[in-house]
Amino acid sequence: MMVRNIKTLLALAALAFTFGASAYAQDSMKHGDKAKALETGTFHGKVHNTSGRATIYQETDGKLVLRLTNFKTSNGPDVHVILIAAKDADDNANFLNSSTERVELGSLKGNEGDQNYEIPSNTDLSKFQTVSIYCERFNANFGAAPLEKF
Amino acid sequence: MKSNVGSLVSRRKWILVAAGLPILVAAWWAFRPEKLWINQKVSEPAPFASSTDPQPLYTGRLEGRAHQTSGRATIYKTPDGKQSLRLTDFSTSNGPDVHVLLARSSDENLTQEIVKGQLDSVELGSLKGNQGDQNYDLPASVDLQKYNAALIYCERFHAVFGVARLEQF
Repeated sequence: MMVRNIKTLLALAALAFTFGASAYAQDSMKHGDKAKALETGTFHGKVHNTSGRATIYQETDGKLVLRLTNFKTSNGPDVHVILIAAKDADDNANFLNSSTERVELGSLKGNEGDQNYEIPSNTDLSKFQTVSIYCERFNANFGAAPLEKF
Repeated sequence: MKSNVGSLVSRRKWILVAAGLPILVAAWWAFRPEKLWINQKVSEPAPFASSTDPQPLYTGRLEGRAHQTSGRATIYKTPDGKQSLRLTDFSTSNGPDVHVLLARSSDENLTQEIVKGQLDSVELGSLKGNQGDQNYDLPASVDLQKYNAALIYCERFHAVFGVARLEQF
């Protein structure tokens, strides 16, 4: 009887160890019914000093919105916000390769401040991973923000 | 005779002006040089009502040091002023006496796998799990300008498991 008890205890201990080896926590976060941040990243840009944060939100109805916060870049002619199919855009290259696929989000609303841009609903965010502030007239990349999961 | 020369000069001038003006206008349109010193500032609200939910203040990705560590660390603030650190998509190795700390991102110790000197840090508690989403309350008085890095730290062996440099959200 004693031996059986010890055996059972050992088995239980082994079981506890197996499951205890990886402790999984699952704290929740109150989100209410507002939009959820999917991806975020910070801008870098040297030629035209660009800084701030880019975050992609999904609203409750599924719509995707890009929001720029603490944002600052230089003013310029015909500057647009685009998503590009690349992991990042190089500061030194400063011009996009013509074969780089892009999604147009609209003209830059202001060179400073918080601003929102709608993203077309069929955009594949696993493919378009970088936000670029892009001067269409001179094909110049003012700044880029590589996005990572929030 | 004199007036004739004068009209010739003024005609040339007019031709120059007539030819030069479109070029100037085109150059202005292309370069918009006034934009170098004119800023256009906008301030759109977030596209959702969010006055009652916790707001993210700082965020950063975790980088592994002594052990492979990944995920995101974000500091949230609730409307009543309470602050907390939340880890998401989090994964590190399990270990003895592992704690979550805030430290200074400029601290040389954070570039090492093992801390040798004194670590200037704020204790947030024992690591709840080596995987999964988790929240840690911040002391009310913590200075987030100073303590701008989240640290997964094994107290027993002074091992830095992972570090996240926190940047303004």
